Amino acid sequence: MEMLILFGTFTLLMLIGTPIAFCLGVASFATVLYLGLPPLVVFQRLNSGMSVFSLLAIPFFIYAGDLMVRGGIAQKIVAFAASLVGHIRGGLGQVNIVTATLFGGISGSAVAEAAAVGGLMIPQMKQRGYGADYAVNVTSMAALIALLLPPSHNMIIYSISAGGKISIADLFTAGILPGLLYAAALMVTAYFVARSRGYPVEAFPGFAAVGRFLLIATPGLLLIAIIFGGVRSGVFTATESSCIAVLYALLVTLFVYRSMSWSDFVHATHGAVRTTAMVLLIIGMAAAFSWLMAFLRVPAALIASMNAVSENPLVILLLINVLMLFLGTFMDMGPTIIICTPIFLPVAMAYGVDPVHFGVIMILNFGIGLNTPPVGAVQFVACAVGKISVWEAMRSIWPFYLAGLVVLGLVTYVPAISLWLPGVFK
Amino acid sequence: MTSSEATSPLARLGRILAAVSTLSLWLAGIGLVAMTAMVAWQVFCRYVLNDSPSWTEPGAVMLMSWFIFLGAAVGVRENYHLGFDVLLYALPKGGKKWLRMISDVVAFAFGIGMVWYGSELVGLTWNTVLPSLRISGGWDYVPLVAGGVLICLFALERIVLRLAGEPIDDVLDELPPAEVAAELDTANVKA
Amino acid sequence: QTVLKSSDTHPDGYPTVEAVEYFGELVKERTGGRYAVEVYHSAQLGEEKDTIEQVRSGVIELNRVSMAPFNGTVKESIVPALPYIFRSEEHMHKVMDGAVGDQIKTAFEGAGLVALAFYDAGSRSFYNKTKPINSVADMAGLKFRVIQSDIFVDMVAALGANATPMPYGEVYSSIETGVIDGAENNFPSYDTAKHFEVAKHYSLDQHTILPEVFVMNKAAFDKLTPGDQAIFKQAATDSVAKQRELWAAKDAESRKKVEAAGAQITTPDKQGFIDAMKPVYEKHVTDDVLKKMVADVQAVQ
Ligand code: NA
Ligand code: NA
Repeated sequence: MEMLILFGTFTLLMLIGTPIAFCLGVASFATVLYLGLPPLVVFQRLNSGMSVFSLLAIPFFIYAGDLMVRGGIAQKIVAFAASLVGHIRGGLGQVNIVTATLFGGISGSAVAEAAAVGGLMIPQMKQRGYGADYAVNVTSMAALIALLLPPSHNMIIYSISAGGKISIADLFTAGILPGLLYAAALMVTAYFVARSRGYPVEAFPGFAAVGRFLLIATPGLLLIAIIFGGVRSGVFTATESSCIAVLYALLVTLFVYRSMSWSDFVHATHGAVRTTAMVLLIIGMAAAFSWLMAFLRVPAALIASMNAVSENPLVILLLINVLMLFLGTFMDMGPTIIICTPIFLPVAMAYGVDPVHFGVIMILNFGIGLNTPPVGAVQFVACAVGKISVWEAMRSIWPFYLAGLVVLGLVTYVPAISLWLPGVFK
Repeated sequence: MTSSEATSPLARLGRILAAVSTLSLWLAGIGLVAMTAMVAWQVFCRYVLNDSPSWTEPGAVMLMSWFIFLGAAVGVRENYHLGFDVLLYALPKGGKKWLRMISDVVAFAFGIGMVWYGSELVGLTWNTVLPSLRISGGWDYVPLVAGGVLICLFALERIVLRLAGEPIDDVLDELPPAEVAAELDTANVKA
Repeated sequence: QTVLKSSDTHPDGYPTVEAVEYFGELVKERTGGRYAVEVYHSAQLGEEKDTIEQVRSGVIELNRVSMAPFNGTVKESIVPALPYIFRSEEHMHKVMDGAVGDQIKTAFEGAGLVALAFYDAGSRSFYNKTKPINSVADMAGLKFRVIQSDIFVDMVAALGANATPMPYGEVYSSIETGVIDGAENNFPSYDTAKHFEVAKHYSLDQHTILPEVFVMNKAAFDKLTPGDQAIFKQAATDSVAKQRELWAAKDAESRKKVEAAGAQITTPDKQGFIDAMKPVYEKHVTDDVLKKMVADVQAVQ
């Protein structure tokens, strides 16, 4: 009965359009009342679920992303990517993906990336005769690269959800090859779709121009080296690196590019406050929700029922992936990680999966979920920028989904893609 | 707008709440900047002064909960919290209005819970002392209470405006989905 | 049957988890099955600070936690947390089983809790990746992560080292990359958190021998019949003997394991460390109650 109240209230409220944060909170509240527990536990979990030092990375990386877009760093990266890969078939689609890869190396938020890269690329692509659906799908799928490449605050959320005993530096490193593999798969897909649709190529501006654009973009791109190098060489912790990203973005836009006005700064700050408050409120409410799941022993029941299905690790991993894809369709990334890590990680580890490897699988899996309706923040942003409906985008997204699922399969069943690089750094 | 409308109690209240919302957003923004400064100070002290302050970690976390709850309350007023809008878009206007009404009542009720049980938590922990910060442990839960008060006010404002026949939901229908608005503001920059 | 819920941050199979489970079995047996205990291990219900609030407000009935989080609430709990207050684990056992232990137990009632038992958590020592520690002088300038406790922060400062704030989850990679030089803990934690992989110099300075505490919500305890209260108290006392046995085995096992994995254990001259603690005592042992308790502890032979 208490399970019915917990999940039933959540589903009902979600269907009538109540913000997810309040769906989670009120469902937990109702269940606690039914169980006769002191209701203050819901509010305690809400508060302490978000009062975690490592979560500071979320506002900082979102803030850094907003500052980089407002202050013109992102635009300079687009110009460099355009000069580099614009001459490949479906040129601007390739530019979009390379930009997303470069920007993904300095930003951790796929939503911010879709807004940043999409805001710059989609209007240009439409103007050059690309279908809006193509522009939107390339943007939304490429934005997921930000989740895999360091910095990635979702990996930090995963590490916290796993009890904080997984090295964040290792998780960051483990995401690099899967991120690049995913970017390559998207570029190939974008190429074939562009060819079948007869999209144009851009003229190659010459190596001198590429060099010039690279030089202009370098102060922004240096952030990749600062974040990854800083964490790996022990100058600062993973969480501190997000704060350094904010300072660096401010420094570059104020003193190097001199492109940040006071109103840009205020806009970026308020934008970051809005986005973070939204994300972290959900994380806090999800903490209350998952406390109840632990209290009601849901994970143990699930492990038992999965064991009943199969003992084969390959089947179990497939099963976990399908379940996570299903959950990711309906839920947002942060809360899904918080709720699913304590449930699935022990199962996966029981079958010999490395926790770092499992983190990469989970991030890519839930990342794809950010591009699936009904709850898909990245897809919503890309569609809103492209001014098309989600259903229009869905009609032609399938080749890109396929690319994503192929990479997910490879990452799941070839652990070396994730684990080789962290091993090299040890 | 006629002068009688401008001075109606509802309009005056609306202006006050708008000011409260703007103030909250600014305070939250200042909190974010202060948090950046605090963590940067922590790194600076460790490397340059070789002496790490122990208050920066709990201090930054406390600032974070202030700006989350302030920002979350503003989100209720500006309606930017992430939701599942599919059914809303499929329904006729009349039905939509009532579903949004339920959501606002839910937010209001949860806000009451934040105030009530948040205060209970403040009471429970008031006699404890936070290490490093050396202030009462009750301060951990003060942002929860403050955020609850604001969420109640802003949710109530929406409920009252809707009951008074104000077209607050029509405005929403023309905007992009709520969760997108915050990021779009960032995307629509000088190209 | 009433099922009492108990929280623990340690994983399944850890001595404290096993001890509380043993306590539950005894209670179940001796009350004829009227009461049972369910342990939520691995911080499933939250970190210690949170579960303490949960047990105080009656969300859960039982909780096994360390003493440090109570330092700001129950001032008597400061005494066992003081560095070098105990000469050895045997000394600690004698003190906590005696009058001073009872005084601390009584003090917990002010926080709405009944302290049922004190469990062993071994002795805590510093470990780092940089160099072996043989004297206080070797500590100078090293960066250590300590738990969020003023006593620990002041202790590290008094040793000339640098206390660096950091969430537990970032300690491993921070030692690995060199943000900090090390941390401090007992052998089982040094082992299970895998910190021995990145910080191989473990110096057996044994700065604190801080026991952990098993508490019950006072309102829930008061609801028990006097007979059941006696059963609970006796079961808790019986679980202490069991826990000490399990702890000793675990401690030895972990020590063996980290040594086999290449950890270098040094035994520094403790007197220097003890002498350096004077400012910590001056700052934290301020009122007469605490001063008397410290004297009482030192008087126990
Ligand atoms: Na990234
Ligand atoms: Na989705």
